[in-house]
Amino acid sequence: MSGLEFRDVAKSFGAVKALRGVSFDVQAGEAHALVGENGAGKSTLMKILAGITRPDAGAVLWDGVTLDLPTPRHALDRGIGMVYQETVLFPNLTVTGNIFAGREHVGALGRLRKPEMRARTQSLLAELGLSLSPDVEVESLNAAERQLLQIARALAFECRLLILDEPTTCLTDAESAELFTILDRLKAGGLTLVYVSHKLHEVFRLCDRITVLRDGQHVTTRPKAELTPRDVVRSMVGRDLETRTRSAQALAALESETPLLAVDGLTRRPFFEDVSLTVRPGEIVGLFGLVGSGRSELAETLFGLHAADAGRVTLGGVPFQAASALEAVRAGLALVPEDRQRQGLFFNLDVGQNLAMTRELAARRSRIDGRGEAASGQSLVADFRIKAAGLEAPPDSLSGGNQQKVLIARWLSTAPKLLILDEPTKGVDVGAKYEIHERVRQEAAQKRACLLISSDLPEVLALADRIVVMREGRVRGVLGGDEANEESVMRLATAVAH
Amino acid sequence: MRLKELLKHREVSTLLILVAEIAFFGWYLWPEAGRVHPFLNAENGLLILKYSSTYGIAAVGAAMVIIAGGVDLSPGAVIALAGVVCSRCYVISGWDLLPSVVCGLLVGLLAGALNALLVALVKLPPFIATLGVMGITRGLAFIITEGRFFDVSSRLPSGSTASLGWLAPLTMVALAVLFQFFMKSFQMGRAVFALGGNETAALFSGIPVKRVQFLVYGIAGLLASLSGVILTVTQGQGKADLANGYELDIIASAVVGGASLSGGRGSVIGAVLGTLIFGVLRNALPQIPGATFYDRLILGVVVLVIVVIDRLLSRKGN
Repeated sequence: MSGLEFRDVAKSFGAVKALRGVSFDVQAGEAHALVGENGAGKSTLMKILAGITRPDAGAVLWDGVTLDLPTPRHALDRGIGMVYQETVLFPNLTVTGNIFAGREHVGALGRLRKPEMRARTQSLLAELGLSLSPDVEVESLNAAERQLLQIARALAFECRLLILDEPTTCLTDAESAELFTILDRLKAGGLTLVYVSHKLHEVFRLCDRITVLRDGQHVTTRPKAELTPRDVVRSMVGRDLETRTRSAQALAALESETPLLAVDGLTRRPFFEDVSLTVRPGEIVGLFGLVGSGRSELAETLFGLHAADAGRVTLGGVPFQAASALEAVRAGLALVPEDRQRQGLFFNLDVGQNLAMTRELAARRSRIDGRGEAASGQSLVADFRIKAAGLEAPPDSLSGGNQQKVLIARWLSTAPKLLILDEPTKGVDVGAKYEIHERVRQEAAQKRACLLISSDLPEVLALADRIVVMREGRVRGVLGGDEANEESVMRLATAVAH
Repeated sequence: MRLKELLKHREVSTLLILVAEIAFFGWYLWPEAGRVHPFLNAENGLLILKYSSTYGIAAVGAAMVIIAGGVDLSPGAVIALAGVVCSRCYVISGWDLLPSVVCGLLVGLLAGALNALLVALVKLPPFIATLGVMGITRGLAFIITEGRFFDVSSRLPSGSTASLGWLAPLTMVALAVLFQFFMKSFQMGRAVFALGGNETAALFSGIPVKRVQFLVYGIAGLLASLSGVILTVTQGQGKADLANGYELDIIASAVVGGASLSGGRGSVIGAVLGTLIFGVLRNALPQIPGATFYDRLILGVVVLVIVVIDRLLSRKGN
């Protein structure tokens, strides 16, 4: 048969089973969508196809022949190009330099044939309708231009299959629209597209068939016409979407509480400006916005990691300004950061030490209480149902979901008054996501104030009592109760209807 | 089972390497019947300990810097400057020994603080910051001595230099035990590991990152100067070219003792054992006929072999 076929592809990273025997096919010339929640295995599957990782078991077939792709170079030589979510370009090289990086046209003695490469770049850019100079350094390009440059790079060499992994994450709507026009044209020219995303409107706009993955398993592959977005969501999460559980009565009771946190006109240029919001004890306030809207910077500023330019914060009615994370912790704040690998975990320390870190620091105890640490570690592991080989296990032996639970447990064990969660379920499996949601609800029920930052709209809608929407560093609206739905929030977050 | 548990500690395997090394040279250099063993004798043992402890005392601090994710190129120069300052105060200015020693130690503390300032506040890469401080301290040592050396032994009571023979080794052992305990059992010690493991996470977790950096570079400077002062007093003279190039041997010792230059891993006792491994090599190699010109080469090979084996073993462990 002509096209691409995955046959029982399996891949594990340590304890994490990223793919558990996935089989489906992509027909030549079609635009095929690969959807699933974070951690469903989409990216791993595409990395296998791009020669970045190799499967533990199973095979990938191309026109009926098994593909053996030990390196990305092999994939490129077979006509498989990949456009990554974050751009993997060389900011210090020119557009031409990036397109030919590693595959330069060379003459005698390895001398670069610059004019030839420059001309080829120019015609490629023209083909894609890009008004870029081939000589400009990539550093000066914006996110959209970089994304398109990646496509140009893939197409520069006999590309028959183009993989796009969430290419619109950093793009505005207008830029995305431009990208889709180009993709339509490439498809009409006979290129096979694999489009990885969890944005359903994009998938339904571009693709012919849709494959859904969940927890490393193949759920379904169907033509677009046979599916509704609701069907796809149900296959992705394995059940209907969670809905807000709080009754109108409970919400009214919340209204009467005096705010624990009150932020007034907080500014830190160029990230956010004039942000005001309140969080009451027992309330979950969602902070929604697209990437780059200033949400994480706001959280980090509240937490004492950056100084604000202007504005006031009160905590429990008292003016509050932390000069360091430790001061913020001692004042009763907790921040579960966005990027658990980079900002959260210590991979040279074991799980027990990771759990104890902040609580011990805040307690002003200089000696380590080994026995107390082990006891509280055990109870946290049991309480949060962290699947680890023991407290001595290194964090990298845990799955993403369990790593996230370690972080949330670390922070909740400091008994904070205000819990700030930044993308708490990014890259975790569906089961862990559900458990984390339950935990946040429990904490709120016990009168803890929660500020939930997330770009996962269904998550914010399911958990938050009120939703503060940010765009380009400013609060664009606060939606509570029934006013908040997918449409009203997105309208504020993207400013389409203005 | 017990042994296996024990072997998990990197310090134990470093100790085994040292024991194996001593056994090897003991066998290789075994003398003809009736003659004194040229390597295995008490006098030679003390000699090795004495010379190794110049490195070892400084290696305690260097290991902490490396564990915190930094590197310190200045200890060799700090050893020299501290010795020079101390001996100048004692010999030229005519101070008592104690204030002269304190003055030498202050020099080390200042150098360490300057390193920390450049790394923590100016945000220079540690390699560059400490390279600069290395140049400054070594330069100051030359400026102060103007090519002379200060003869400390002439003012010390006669015979005292010989009786001070155990001072440096005992100091080294005491410091190794003390700081090992600090690193393993105190919150600040763990913060050093955490900082070296993941600096961003350290900030987000409330670790006082700058304070930890001042602590480790400060201790490293102080201990280097302590090593310099002891060396000057026991050797009897202060001079500017003392401990030239020691910094690389000190770093290599820490690495042989299990420290990772990318930070987050290592041990104080391991680093001290590392200096003993080097000390034994430096002592025994010249005694092998024909090996005279090979000792640097063999030292280099030994570092690489130990680190590569360590890599392979830890990979297997995972």
